[in-house]
Amino acid sequence: MKQNTFYILAGIVGLIEVGAFWLSVEYRMPLLITTVFIAGILLLYGTYQRITDRQVDERAVLINQKAWLATFMVFWVVFFATSLGSAGMGFGAPSFPHPPRPPDGGPGVLNESMRIPNDGLTHLGYFGYIQLTLLFLMFFLYVGFRIYYAHKYGEWETDEEQD
Amino acid sequence: MKNKIKVFRAMHDLTQEALANDLGVTRQTILAIEKGKYDPSLDLAFKIARYFGVSIDEIFTYDETI
Repeated sequence: MKQNTFYILAGIVGLIEVGAFWLSVEYRMPLLITTVFIAGILLLYGTYQRITDRQVDERAVLINQKAWLATFMVFWVVFFATSLGSAGMGFGAPSFPHPPRPPDGGPGVLNESMRIPNDGLTHLGYFGYIQLTLLFLMFFLYVGFRIYYAHKYGEWETDEEQD
Repeated sequence: MKNKIKVFRAMHDLTQEALANDLGVTRQTILAIEKGKYDPSLDLAFKIARYFGVSIDEIFTYDETI
């Protein structure tokens, strides 16, 4: 098994874990996520042992470093953006458009009947699922960058010895 | 950076695989260096030069047009 295949599998397993976590929360079955998590770890451990292209040299290290750095930069931006959203939800910020001002033109202070319910915590939980999903999608991005840099540094160049 | 690894390999009747094994790198790395897709580290460049028993500038030349 190639390393890229392993990382794709890790991403898929991660997404399944997120789904299992959602199910275990929705149906109040903590045993489900516990079981699926352990099974996922065992599966990844078993497949990691089957990786065949583990020979590492300086070019492979360079490709890995570049791919990790590029993935990390994208991850930072995505995580920053989702953290902004989760902070907004966590503090119960009102969503646009704002409710209309009173007809007498007074200050736009919201009275109790117009106040937006503070359900930020509920949404924050769902937002956590999105963040977890994005986190595991980074595995696919990492594989994409690995392929890009491997191509850049001559991974699939053909020569007479391949014929 | 240009290099003459392919020439030296031919002179020593070596395959990429054999050279890679002796230098402790993958065949893809030797191939990438030969094709100019990857510039080796100084350490590897010296290893290659010593392997063929020549100085480093006999194998590698800096290409100013790149």
